[in-house]
Amino acid sequence: MTKDTAVTLDSYRLAQYAVQVPCYICEQGNTFDAELCRHCFAPMALAHQANTQKVFSSMLATIGPSGVGKTVYLGMLMDMLSRNKERLQLLARGAFSINLQQAATQALARGEFPDKTPNEPDRWNWVHCQVQLPRHRKPVELIMPDMAGEAILEEVDHPHSFHVVRQMLLKCGGVLLMVDAARLHAGSLDQDYFSMKLLSYLIELDNHPKRGWQNRPLALVFTKADDCEACFDDPASFAKRYSPGLWRHCQERFRHHQFFAAGVSGACASCNTPDGRQRVPLRIEPRGIIEPFEWLVEQIGRR
Amino acid sequence: MKKQRLLRLVGVAGLGAAVSGIGLDAPWLACLGTAGVACGALTFRRRTDRKPSAEAAALSAKVAAVVAAPPSPGEPVDTGGLVRQMLAQGRYTLLLRPQITANLTQAQIQKAIEALVEQTALVPAGQLCIGLAGKESDPLENEGYEPASSGVVVEVEEFLLDRYPVTNSQFQQFVDAGGYAQAALWDPQVWPAVVDFVDRTGCPGPRFWSGGRHPHGEERHPVVGVSWYEATAYARWAGKRLPTDPEWEKAGSWPLQLSDTTLLQRRYPWGDLMERERANLWGSGPNRTVSVDEYEGGVSPGGVHQLIGNVWEWTYDDFSQAAHKRPGLALGTAMKCVRGGAFDTYFDVQATCQFVSGENPVARKHNVGFRCAVSTADLVAAARPDPLDTSLVEAGQAAEEIGV
Repeated sequence: MTKDTAVTLDSYRLAQYAVQVPCYICEQGNTFDAELCRHCFAPMALAHQANTQKVFSSMLATIGPSGVGKTVYLGMLMDMLSRNKERLQLLARGAFSINLQQAATQALARGEFPDKTPNEPDRWNWVHCQVQLPRHRKPVELIMPDMAGEAILEEVDHPHSFHVVRQMLLKCGGVLLMVDAARLHAGSLDQDYFSMKLLSYLIELDNHPKRGWQNRPLALVFTKADDCEACFDDPASFAKRYSPGLWRHCQERFRHHQFFAAGVSGACASCNTPDGRQRVPLRIEPRGIIEPFEWLVEQIGRR
Repeated sequence: MKKQRLLRLVGVAGLGAAVSGIGLDAPWLACLGTAGVACGALTFRRRTDRKPSAEAAALSAKVAAVVAAPPSPGEPVDTGGLVRQMLAQGRYTLLLRPQITANLTQAQIQKAIEALVEQTALVPAGQLCIGLAGKESDPLENEGYEPASSGVVVEVEEFLLDRYPVTNSQFQQFVDAGGYAQAALWDPQVWPAVVDFVDRTGCPGPRFWSGGRHPHGEERHPVVGVSWYEATAYARWAGKRLPTDPEWEKAGSWPLQLSDTTLLQRRYPWGDLMERERANLWGSGPNRTVSVDEYEGGVSPGGVHQLIGNVWEWTYDDFSQAAHKRPGLALGTAMKCVRGGAFDTYFDVQATCQFVSGENPVARKHNVGFRCAVSTADLVAAARPDPLDTSLVEAGQAAEEIGV
């Protein structure tokens, strides 16, 4: 005796599994329903968006030591450009692209800095957005990850330890290199050494005579410049004086570079918390946030 | 012996400064030469440490030369001229001190009162609930009027607050009058650092000026790039002071006491909802300072303009842990309070009457200015304006309209 039963026909799923979807960052194969790339942990949504919308997105990396302000900078930048008040306009693609902006601005509005970006790439925030430049008819598609400073340092010191960092830096059209102006101004040279390491790494990563890093645009952003106002007056002179190694590297090895100063908090104080002493912003007044990004996107657009 | 000689020379220096300032026919105004006295005293005392005899002789000669010299062109030689000059400089409150008015004519007093009414607004005495800023990150949590129980209630005396922040042209008067060289105007502890308070070209003045002059076309913009000490020195020179933190907050939040336990306070001078078109903040203005006459919609009930936006304003008080109501806050350096937000203030919750931030008192930021206050108790009774009497203001406005 036979009995009628409803059986799901899953063969189309098997067919989908048979076709590998390449990750947009590392180009390694993944299953169609993977959320993150199993090789580099980049969101597979980037690949799906590229496939369905048939748009080629440029990549832009924000690099610098841990605690330099990459998350604050990117979050603030996203929020400012998406408020429709600036000449540049930004429109996020995908809900995941708003996480960074939300986390950063909510923390700043509470009078805190956002939590440190975890070292694990699967917990990083990625931004995929459209940027409309003035005098440009077509918007620029951009992908920007908020990478952890310690992961970047680990990759620089031990190449191939963070696959996603390497792949990202290989592919991206330009870099925002963040340097802590307050620490430089206070006489600490660790920022100088770290920046030089990063620049050397970039040059070694791709030194193709045409496409290599020596020809890609590099925006050097002195963060926390509210604490040293002279930096705003002339960032290049500040670099020459307080970060001579970095300045010389840029002069010798990078044809398209420019120095900028940026700050988000007008003043800071320390706060004793159960986790130790933390810096807190006393007020939020972004300054010099848009300029390096605008310059970099213009440079990428020209190429 | 050495001390006696010092005192004698200080007296000569002070007398010389006072006499040269006011002319020989107005000894009652000698108190206005206090700046000169103290300047001479401090200058001499500092130099005495190095070369007492030579310096003393040089100073004596200098004082004698000043006393003997005729007044320079443009310098007032009589009481009337000095009063006119002080009115032009915006130092009218000095003329309304009880010690001074007895020696002025009724017309001179009247002019000083008119200037006072035109340029300052009365903030009545009363209670204020402070310490509400800690709850502001979530506007819904702080919706509507705040009950007095959530903060600390303080009593504020009646005072007059400048209707507008101090402008570049007003500060120019201070610079031109040699304010940076008068030691009596400055806190003694900062006097050695005053030489560093220079503009882009090294001349004494706010940080973003050049050649001791304010930027062209920005006469009515609020002065910025001044430290707390420069603001205090200006206020002293003008016969005023910086408002205290509760005073500033009271002028903006304009509390109403409905009962012993209920204080109605505004979040913004115009009400409880942020209306960005009423203030020069990030996104609502040109991202730089604007004239103090703009954004008239942001005026407070008492007639004070631009309390919110355009520039942060120094207040007299220290920015301590109590001011910010944040447990565990540790300040690396002593800070002074700044209030009101500026043209680049990003979040609405940081541009309220209750929000207070801090700044290093020697910092000379691009978005920090100030306005002055004066206690009515320090002025003659006739100068204490009736908040309901607007006749003097209307007279002033009518005079402006016909170009007087």
